Amino acid sequence: MKELLTPRERFGLLVIDEQQDRVPVFPLVTAHAARVAGISVRDYYTDGVAMARSQLVAQETYGTDFISFFSEVGLLAEALGSCYEYPDDDLPLLATPKWEGLPRLSAEEDRGCTHPAADPLHDGRLRVYLDAITYAYEARGDTVPILAYVPAPFTTAQQLVDQEAFLLGLLTEPERVKELLDYATRSITRFCRAIIGAGGLPILVDPLASGSVISVEHYCRFALPSEAEVIRYLHRYDLDVVLHICGDTRATVGMMPDTGADLLSVDRIGIAEAVAGAGRRCRIIGNYDTSAILLSDPTTVEREVATMVAAGRECPMGFVAATGCEVPQETPPENVRAFVRAAKEAGRNLDYGRRRK
Amino acid sequence: MPGWTDPKSARVSFDDWLELFDRVPDELIERYHYYGNNEAWSKYLFPPQMFAVYGMRHLRRLKFDNSLAALRMWGFVQNETERLFRARQTGRRVIATMGDLGAVPVIVNSYPKCVAFYPDCIWWTPFAMESRVLFDAAAELGIGDATCFSRAALGAFAKHSYFPDPDLVIASTGASCDDYSGVEQLAERFAREMLWVEVPMRCGMGPMGPMGLMLVKEYERVVEAMARLTGHELTEDELRAGIRRTNTVRKMVSRLRELAFGDAALAALEMMVIEFGNLHYYSDMDEWTAVLEHLLATAEGRTARGERMLPEDALRVVWVTPPADPLLLTYVEDAGARVVGTEYVINQALEIMDESRPPLEAIAESFMAASLIGTSKARTQSVIHQARKYEAEGVIISGILGGSHCAMEGRLIADYVKAELGLPVLEFDVTSPSREVARQIGTRIDAFLEVLRGRR
Repeated sequence: MKELLTPRERFGLLVIDEQQDRVPVFPLVTAHAARVAGISVRDYYTDGVAMARSQLVAQETYGTDFISFFSEVGLLAEALGSCYEYPDDDLPLLATPKWEGLPRLSAEEDRGCTHPAADPLHDGRLRVYLDAITYAYEARGDTVPILAYVPAPFTTAQQLVDQEAFLLGLLTEPERVKELLDYATRSITRFCRAIIGAGGLPILVDPLASGSVISVEHYCRFALPSEAEVIRYLHRYDLDVVLHICGDTRATVGMMPDTGADLLSVDRIGIAEAVAGAGRRCRIIGNYDTSAILLSDPTTVEREVATMVAAGRECPMGFVAATGCEVPQETPPENVRAFVRAAKEAGRNLDYGRRRK
Repeated sequence: MPGWTDPKSARVSFDDWLELFDRVPDELIERYHYYGNNEAWSKYLFPPQMFAVYGMRHLRRLKFDNSLAALRMWGFVQNETERLFRARQTGRRVIATMGDLGAVPVIVNSYPKCVAFYPDCIWWTPFAMESRVLFDAAAELGIGDATCFSRAALGAFAKHSYFPDPDLVIASTGASCDDYSGVEQLAERFAREMLWVEVPMRCGMGPMGPMGLMLVKEYERVVEAMARLTGHELTEDELRAGIRRTNTVRKMVSRLRELAFGDAALAALEMMVIEFGNLHYYSDMDEWTAVLEHLLATAEGRTARGERMLPEDALRVVWVTPPADPLLLTYVEDAGARVVGTEYVINQALEIMDESRPPLEAIAESFMAASLIGTSKARTQSVIHQARKYEAEGVIISGILGGSHCAMEGRLIADYVKAELGLPVLEFDVTSPSREVARQIGTRIDAFLEVLRGRR
């Protein structure tokens, strides 16, 4: 059935606090799009046009409300010098971080050793993303929002340094950690700027800042301020910023709005809890279990998604029906279809457009 | 402005504005708000990139004035959809005025907490987005490609997402665009309440002959409908104040036209946006007035310094009927011409109202100068006047496929211009939304400008 609104029109209403014809539907289809399009995952993340075409096919196949570009959280770190392996049919894997231990960036700069920001056109695979955004924007930018996940400073920093050394540094060398975060932030904002220029809306993704990885104290001290800095930059452009933190955010969900994010994408937390914790300040995006979408049957997915949407629609600021994290690559397409079907049905707003008498 | 100095005047690309925006201090972004409040949502000083991210794809292909005032103007104009929804959210009444292009909003905006807007202006949206979405929505309701691009307004009504459902629709019909009258009829099904206003023809009996007096009676019906809606009895002083505010805007636009057409202080794209601001002030009259003051100061400064947006030797053309595709203006300027006069079918919105007359008569009198309610010959007089004043070398008439008055009038206006001034005239129909100017039209523009060059 043809819907009244395009995804772009629907999202446009959401971000100005207006009712929509139904909740926007956003299973986080990233590398799964390669499966849908029948190309190798490696082609997906190394060729911007292939990435775009896959996403276009997936968006059309499933009838979702967004096109979203993402491969893995090492994108910025690679552009800054960390090395990755490219398996044929899997996502890039961190081979060697740029530094083994926390670098002394300010001391190095005092000695004249500069650390320039990554160049979005030439470094790593940043250009792949930009090519993908440009292609998709030309193809469908009038009807579908084009989103691009950008790894946040905290997550990027953990890909620049041996992860153990980084986490230890949170306790023993906090100033060096902050320098590293600043260093990452410069590249991230520069990349965001290039994404905006190409027509994409950056989504900040910070999975390594989740409660599954770090404490609340460390989130507040390190991750949150660096997320906030990127979001401040994006707000200079009046963009509606999504902050996605997968994993367990039960302890931090109430603080996440302090970053300035306009929409929070959450994972392992009850949707009612997320709404209670942040739903008066942010729209909530979430959060169907990605194991369930991979392993369940369509009937179960439909039932559980309908329950989730019913809870999510209680969010005063608005709700987007999504998966908690990326749809696993091997997810049966019928399960994604079931997700979308159920979310659209449960999220329908029967009052939309009724003439007010 | 503190923290900002305009660069040397120039038309710059979309990408250039991204560079320029890096230099805009946060304090300036925080400084400008619509509806006079300080909410974060009411800021509007943002670069074209922001609007492109939200779907305005055509912006990437246009050239823009590089001044802060122009950036402010673009930001203000581009977020009008959000502004209209915020109007409703903050307790204002939202009134759709249709078809008359400039008169009824003078009355509506004289009421407290009422905002008038023209769905008609949605006709630019498909071009700005390079999209057929609104045309397809209109087609499903019975109006297809054989109708003027203004049919996009019908699609917007159907979708309820381009403006809030209006509290009242005031639709003018009669001696106006018949395509748009059809759009209005079909839009009625989406209106909570629709008031039809009859627009008379100008019959050569003077502005305040029987037809003008009939229009006054129609405006009295508008006042009655607004009183029913708002519960507010409009006083004569309130309406006079509304006319004064409107005249302030119109006088500034008149001066900006002189500076643009005479001294090339502004380019054609910005001038078109400015002229159409006279219709409903982009839904916030006070802020639009401030934006115009800023633009005027910028343009006056340029003229005083001898700075021009376009070269001294650019070919001078008058443009008749607003191009639905703004890229045409950029194209013509890139090709070496500049616009020194316009007849954008909104002459009624440019007229200064007589503040000494009874208010409704003053509004009616100014409306009786409307472009579309008289003969084509009368409309041509404005073209001829401007062509003489600014020594135009040619006239471009951009019609609309399906726009019946365009089909009827284009050739007549061309003939009058040729007979009176002996100037070459280029007439073409604007094609559907696209990434670029249609090859055939581009070639015709190029050839036309070559002819003008050859005549020097």
